[in-house]
Amino acid sequence: MKLSLAAITKRFDGHLVLSDVTLALEKVHTLALIGPSGGGKSTLLRIIAGLEFPDSGAVEINGEHVLFQEEALLRHRRTVGTVFQAFNLFPHLTALQNITLPLEKVHGHATAEAEQIARQFLARFRLEKHGEKKPAELSGGQRQRVAIARAVSIKPKLLLFDEPTSALDPEMTAEVLDMIKQLREEGRDFILVTHEMGFARQVADQVAMLADGKIMEAGAAAQVFESPANPATRDFLAKVLKY
Amino acid sequence: MKLAWLTLLAALCLLSACSQKPRTDLVVGMELNYPPFEMTDEQGHPSGVSVDLAEALGKYLGRSVRIENTPFDGLIPALKTGRIDLIISSMTATPERARSIDFSDFYVKTGLCLLIARSSSVQSIEDLDQPGRVVAVKNGTTGHTYAAQNIKNARVLVLDQENACVLEVVEGKADAFIYDQLSTYQNWRHHEDTTRPVLRPFQQESWAVGVRKGDTNLLSQVNAFLKDFRAKGGFEALGDRHLKEQKEAFSKLGYPFYF
Amino acid sequence: MFIASNEPDAAPPPTRLRALNFALALLLVTLLFYFSFQQVNYHWDWAGIYKYRSKFIQGWFNTILISLAALALSICIGLFFALAQRSRVLPLRYFSKLYIEVVRGTPLLVQILIFFYVVANAFGVANRYLVGILTLACFSGAYIAEIIRAGIESVGRSQLESAKAIGLTRAQTYRYVVFPQALRQTLPPLAGQFVSLIKDSSLLSIISINEFTLNAREVNSYTFSTLESYLPLAAGYLILTLPVSLWTRHLEKRHRYET
Repeated sequence: MKLSLAAITKRFDGHLVLSDVTLALEKVHTLALIGPSGGGKSTLLRIIAGLEFPDSGAVEINGEHVLFQEEALLRHRRTVGTVFQAFNLFPHLTALQNITLPLEKVHGHATAEAEQIARQFLARFRLEKHGEKKPAELSGGQRQRVAIARAVSIKPKLLLFDEPTSALDPEMTAEVLDMIKQLREEGRDFILVTHEMGFARQVADQVAMLADGKIMEAGAAAQVFESPANPATRDFLAKVLKY
Repeated sequence: MKLAWLTLLAALCLLSACSQKPRTDLVVGMELNYPPFEMTDEQGHPSGVSVDLAEALGKYLGRSVRIENTPFDGLIPALKTGRIDLIISSMTATPERARSIDFSDFYVKTGLCLLIARSSSVQSIEDLDQPGRVVAVKNGTTGHTYAAQNIKNARVLVLDQENACVLEVVEGKADAFIYDQLSTYQNWRHHEDTTRPVLRPFQQESWAVGVRKGDTNLLSQVNAFLKDFRAKGGFEALGDRHLKEQKEAFSKLGYPFYF
Repeated sequence: MFIASNEPDAAPPPTRLRALNFALALLLVTLLFYFSFQQVNYHWDWAGIYKYRSKFIQGWFNTILISLAALALSICIGLFFALAQRSRVLPLRYFSKLYIEVVRGTPLLVQILIFFYVVANAFGVANRYLVGILTLACFSGAYIAEIIRAGIESVGRSQLESAKAIGLTRAQTYRYVVFPQALRQTLPPLAGQFVSLIKDSSLLSIISINEFTLNAREVNSYTFSTLESYLPLAAGYLILTLPVSLWTRHLEKRHRYET
């Protein structure tokens, strides 16, 4: 995909969260956003997802300008699949229903068709036995995988992951990361905010490091991880990769 | 566990407190909502004809008197269960009531009258029992009993309070309110522009003092007192004290005033 | 045998043991009442009450009808004000808050009297059943509005965000995410409100609406048998409220899931 962020600025309660964020990537499959907590990664992701309005600046995906108005954003969100850290699924619906809901109500599939698609994806991600269970009956890892299945099943042009494994224990983290890796191998485009540096290194082709609302460094993954140019990046990586 | 023991202890205390102790004072039940017979003065103390009567009785018998304010329809049950010893509440002696309690000799003769709404075309009790008409009565009174037995076509509204019944008539929601003669007169005087009375009683009634069935000792004492009180001019004095205006008005209107 | 385990996840005691202990509790209560009645030396007269059984039955059915009508209306009122409280139209929002605070902060008895004798009179509404049901519905509606509001707000903001992210419109979010969950949250307290409504309907007797309590009080006046009138009255209400209470507990168990 082609991604262009131009001078994005965002304030919350007078606090400057994103300051003049600019990034232009011609051909990127997987972009990893890394950096210290509170650096603005999640906010940036949410703006790209169409869930927040920037105070100023522009977002362009594959040449299409994202218009920050409610009606246009509604259409935009339908083309983007977002997976949050937690609370993705609706607790009163089964895993299957959680996936069929957007397929039916947002993307206009017939009920039978939606169910078929949902079951296909559940099977692909080895969740077919859990389709009739409610989220409360699933483990954290299974919940996130259902959330990812839901995001993928609508055939989005872009997937966004906001720290999908931060709330999970190591074992579940691994199963979710496996799934994301699988998606990478299928050739899907996504932007990933994560603290899992080792994983980011494996799957990302481009990396951007955000701290204090500014892009400290951006470039090819191999280069940024091996030899970071910015001292801030170096410090951050040193801390994170210590243990 | 501790909670269970505490509960048991509390229950035992409650049960032991339930045992009745013999009383020395005379407990008289009345509904203090019926001026000028049973009412409260500005300080909230019981006052009125029945209160004076009760106190005179107490003096005659040499016992102290305690007035127990009880809703009218709760007087007979209170007497039956022993909460009160006497009913002196301008209560009419009726055969139905006499099945539950014993009555003394009569001390007042009165009768049932009508308080009619100004908007209504009702002239008498015969007019009242027509379809489409509405009659208000107070729960437990002889007016209520009369309506239950005799009113077949009109709708009967049973209310708790005398002033609720009066309000229904004043607002035109009821055609008439069946109540005793003296109160009907009083209520009319308070609402002269919205009501009119029929003060000739269509059913005669007499008031008496109520005692528990089988309490023959107290009954004979009360009857002796009533005879004595009347002979000494006690009722005359009560009439002058509390019912002066009514006495004069009734004599002007030509109604006999029995007291 | 009589002591249950204190562990939070322990299995409940076997059915036979539960039945035995429940019977024991019931026996204790019965003994307490029996002892109280013995002390009071009450003479029971069920024959008198049996004569008036049709009044009881009719009153009971009327109470059911009135409660159902008031419930249906109060759910509409409650739903309206629950949403109006969140409205962007400020006068509507503040009117809702005012209505809810005033109705919840004043006694139902006062509301019935004011509504019937003042407001209904001013608007010329004569039918007391209509006014009674309306008053009861408005009263219950305020409580239901709060219940519904709590139910809607209990659906976490993260879910609204999730719904937004997958592309649901505001209306779709309400329909597929908020209301299904809010409904499951509100059903138990709503059922509880229905129980309250059935009991509160007894206050409508004050304006002589022909429901269960009024009929029992009338029978009491005719027969002077207070306990024989009021015990069936209590039993009659229990027959109505107990099934609803039990259904509430069943609902709470069925829809319990961790979020």
